[in-house]
Amino acid sequence: MTMRLMDGSEAIVEAAIQAGLRFYAGYPMSPATELLEYMAEKLPHHEGVCINAATEIEGVNMALGAAAGGFRAASGSCGQGLALMQEAIAEAALNETPIVIFNMARNQQDYFQATRGGGWGDYRTITLAPKDLHEAVEHAQLAFHLADKYRVPVIFMGDNLLARTQMGTTLPQLDLEPLPPKDWQLDGTSGGTGKSRQIWTFGCGKTNDPGPGPSKHWERIAAKFDAIAEVEARHEQGFVDDAETLVIAFGSGGKFVEHVVREMRADGHKVGYFRPITLWPFPGDALEAASQDCKRVLVFELNAGQMIDDVKLNVRDRKLVKAIGGVSFDESGLNLGPLMDATVIRERIALAINGASQ
Amino acid sequence: MELDLFISGIGGQGIQLVGKSLALAAIRDGRHVMLAGEYGGHMRGGSSVGTVVIGATPLKALPILPHAGSAIAMSHLFWERVGSRLRPGSLVLAEETISADLPDMDKHRLVKLPATAIATEQGSRMAAGMVMLGAYAALTGAVKIDSAVAAMAEQIPSYRRQHIEANERAIRAGAAAVTPLAFAVDFDSAAKDVA
Repeated sequence: MTMRLMDGSEAIVEAAIQAGLRFYAGYPMSPATELLEYMAEKLPHHEGVCINAATEIEGVNMALGAAAGGFRAASGSCGQGLALMQEAIAEAALNETPIVIFNMARNQQDYFQATRGGGWGDYRTITLAPKDLHEAVEHAQLAFHLADKYRVPVIFMGDNLLARTQMGTTLPQLDLEPLPPKDWQLDGTSGGTGKSRQIWTFGCGKTNDPGPGPSKHWERIAAKFDAIAEVEARHEQGFVDDAETLVIAFGSGGKFVEHVVREMRADGHKVGYFRPITLWPFPGDALEAASQDCKRVLVFELNAGQMIDDVKLNVRDRKLVKAIGGVSFDESGLNLGPLMDATVIRERIALAINGASQ
Repeated sequence: MELDLFISGIGGQGIQLVGKSLALAAIRDGRHVMLAGEYGGHMRGGSSVGTVVIGATPLKALPILPHAGSAIAMSHLFWERVGSRLRPGSLVLAEETISADLPDMDKHRLVKLPATAIATEQGSRMAAGMVMLGAYAALTGAVKIDSAVAAMAEQIPSYRRQHIEANERAIRAGAAAVTPLAFAVDFDSAAKDVA
């Protein structure tokens, strides 16, 4: 298949449409604006609809509506917009409506609100954090698959580098297991299976099919997220077997850390890398295994310390864990700052190692 | 192997156009490509930096390159953003009239080219970047000259199609103005080595 040069935003949109996306509603916000623009350009050519909503709250609720009709639907924004969407994401989790939220973040300060379940109720959101365009093409497909498979909202975590860096891609398609038909979808008729009436946050049904009721419903939802956590954690790691120092990062940061660790390995340092691919479920068992013999665990993230909480929960001794990232924006406040740089990351890893040995 | 390049100059000199043309040409040649701009403050008169990485196999390069092995210098202004990140012995293809103002050129392989003068001779002073594109392709073997011409024409917006001919002349004149480097890249044998 021929290679095409495209930026990450366009590649994500192409892959999502290939995966069956037919409805997108969002409000422009840099660096998520290009995603909306490509959606507007491309979806109408695939019997799809793209709406420039008046707000992020409107956009995500439109997506919720389209998804209730059985369509693969998504919304998108960046961090502050994702904050506005939290109530709708919680509703989607509790009423079991599969939607995908593309969060093209300005930085990495979205970790908590993506992974903790930022609205009301006992739920989490599956969060996929690709390291580059090629993985983003995979995740754009996987996001819709997981959303439909579990009837849950899924967050796709991108950033400025992912949105705007251009790469050659053939847009390879993942071979994913077939999913059952959506017998719960609203089809606009008053007949049908009747299962669509269960699409309600409180889990109440109707007179001749009362449904589980709120308590049983929410208990079952919570159990579903526990079951997802058991099987859907994904990660990538390298050089962990004899690593004295393990460096953990996600998304673009994970790609930078992998690059730096490979360089340091070539220079003889006993360093390894670990990258959560799913931020939730966090690959805690894998991290525990990878870090079991390490002297120190370094966390590189462009925030004041968010993922580091999950890291501390999953290593043998939380005192081994040290932050080497920090808040870092460029002067516009819309983009990653000077910390996202291989030379700087290497200096910080070296400082953590040398500082510890003194 | 990966060929990595910074293109540095002033907004308005067509820096991003050179990068995009080179990247699209490499795609035409069947290569793996990454093209990144350094964002923020892209405007006429401000710093403009483009980054291109080309390889025969899937790329390992980061979207913000810590280092590169070649550069095109269209201006001495803002050069420090790029110059400090060149590996020793890098190819620096520089506009002749500003080349004396580039520091530390004793550490690199400097190729001076009167790109603006050549472009003017070819009928379009604005096509200096295209001269550089042709020269860089010929020097390094990064892309075929015909691919560079086709890539330039492919992306030019409809309201600027009158410039295609002059741009093509500029690319070919740039290619003719240089002698290919002895260590020009050979992606095909690099790909075979990997395979």
